[in-house]
Amino acid sequence: MDRSATSPSALMGVARGNGDAVFAAIVRCAAALILLGLGGMVAVMAWGARGAFAAFGPAFIIDRAWNPVTQHFGAAAPVFGTLVTALLAIALAVPLAFGIAVWLTEIASARIAGVIGTLIQLLAAVPSIIFGMWGFAVLVPFMAHYVEPFASHTLGRMPGIGPLFRGAPYGTGFLTGGMILAVMITPFISAVMRDVFLSMPAVLKESAYGLGMTRWEVVRRIILPWSRTSVVGGIMLGLGRALGETMAITFVIGNANHIGWSLFSPGNTIASLIALEFPESAMGSLKFSSLMAAGFLLMLISLGTLVCSRLLLRTRSAGR
Amino acid sequence: MTVAEKQPVPAAISVRNLDFYYGANHALKNISIDFPQGQVTGMIGPSGCGKSTLLRVLNRMYDLYPGQRATGEVIFDGCNILGPRVNLNVLRARVGMVFQKPTPFPMSIYDNIAFGVRLHERLDRAAIEARVEDVLKRVALWSEVRDRLHDSASALSGGQQQRLCIARTIATRPEVVLLDEPTSALDPVSTARIEELLDELKADFTIAIVTHNLQQAARCADQVAFFYMGEVVEVDSADRMFTAPRENRTQDYITGRFG
Repeated sequence: MDRSATSPSALMGVARGNGDAVFAAIVRCAAALILLGLGGMVAVMAWGARGAFAAFGPAFIIDRAWNPVTQHFGAAAPVFGTLVTALLAIALAVPLAFGIAVWLTEIASARIAGVIGTLIQLLAAVPSIIFGMWGFAVLVPFMAHYVEPFASHTLGRMPGIGPLFRGAPYGTGFLTGGMILAVMITPFISAVMRDVFLSMPAVLKESAYGLGMTRWEVVRRIILPWSRTSVVGGIMLGLGRALGETMAITFVIGNANHIGWSLFSPGNTIASLIALEFPESAMGSLKFSSLMAAGFLLMLISLGTLVCSRLLLRTRSAGR
Repeated sequence: MTVAEKQPVPAAISVRNLDFYYGANHALKNISIDFPQGQVTGMIGPSGCGKSTLLRVLNRMYDLYPGQRATGEVIFDGCNILGPRVNLNVLRARVGMVFQKPTPFPMSIYDNIAFGVRLHERLDRAAIEARVEDVLKRVALWSEVRDRLHDSASALSGGQQQRLCIARTIATRPEVVLLDEPTSALDPVSTARIEELLDELKADFTIAIVTHNLQQAARCADQVAFFYMGEVVEVDSADRMFTAPRENRTQDYITGRFG
């Protein structure tokens, strides 16, 4: 700085041109673009869906029909399929991810934990179409020939849960879809859980061990209660991913407009319905609008889930 | 204060030729020291001299971390607790530990204490309630928390939390209590309370306390050990250690020439 030039007016002025102001404006625009993009997307989806909502009203959400011939559309089946496969995926992935995270943080030696941790992150980076091909070529035949016939002969005969495991063993269906999603979100959830477990103060763990607790008691009674909200937040993030996943599940869900008890029966999800039918629907047609409406619902479900998880994760960090 | 001089007290824990390594770092060098039963042993010395490390050997806390290992002997109740077949859960129940910072568990005040008790003893509800009340009274916390036993422990003040942690530790009826700078995060009033507490507790427990506060060691300890660079330089009664130390290094440390 040229000190000799310092005067009251120079002190109040902008230093060396207005680079700072320009830069601030640019980054502000970049940030605003996000808001604009998200808002625009919601608006466009809602606008595109107006035809369907005008024709079918709110009943569109609970209408099970999807009939292009009679021009009668409802989103109940794909919404059902989306929720069932995502919840199945969570039910399968959470115990697995929990086991992985506990093993990585509490049991494995540092070196092995590092290697496995990296492999898990790589697994999360595998493109979903690869899981789709694997699911179609390997998992579906395996389910059709072994798992589903066996399950329907055993679990299918049990009272209460029996209806869930009956039906023709197509291989494709809700269960297979849920399994594919579980494989895809497990690395994600276990990575979140691992970070949460690692962030626990070492002295708290030590004082738990210092009372003579076993590993399981420390995990069950100290680590889990301490990290509960963050773990739930991580699970919700995984749920958000499972809800929106398209390619992998399109390959294995069976693509049938169907709602039923059997987990073996083919169904559909919003994302795979759109992936399959969108290119074939005429711009401005009722079907086009109905697909937009289904997409709008998916967006609401996903955004709602993400908002919930964010809120949970935030209460956590603010509270501690 | 001078019991140790008049009659030899049996050792609750005897450390013999202990060496300890953090990976390649030789942190304790050929340590031998006795912890007399029913007495307070104060451990002093500059940071990094190995006093906290020794505490962590006495309940095998170092076992949680790969790469840390100990050789030599630590005799407790006739067994070498460094041996491979030691049941660590039982050992840690019998050799309790209190940490530098209060570490209440994420549960209620009542459960913080009852939980540890239930781990090791099958007691009915009334017996557990009696135990909780008893230990809370012993750490002089009962009158402050009796009306909110089922509130979260994290709502307590730092000094209260630390007394709760001491109560939690003695609730499982250990024989030895290890304290790792238990008052360094507390205000003077809470510190005085805990020092008084130590005096009462030594009737039932053998106590080993690491402290940076020499006055605290002088006030609370029957026996004081001075650690320097991973070695025990001198072990003596508190009176002699602070008035007539035998070693020059001890003299230098307690007069503040280093550390």
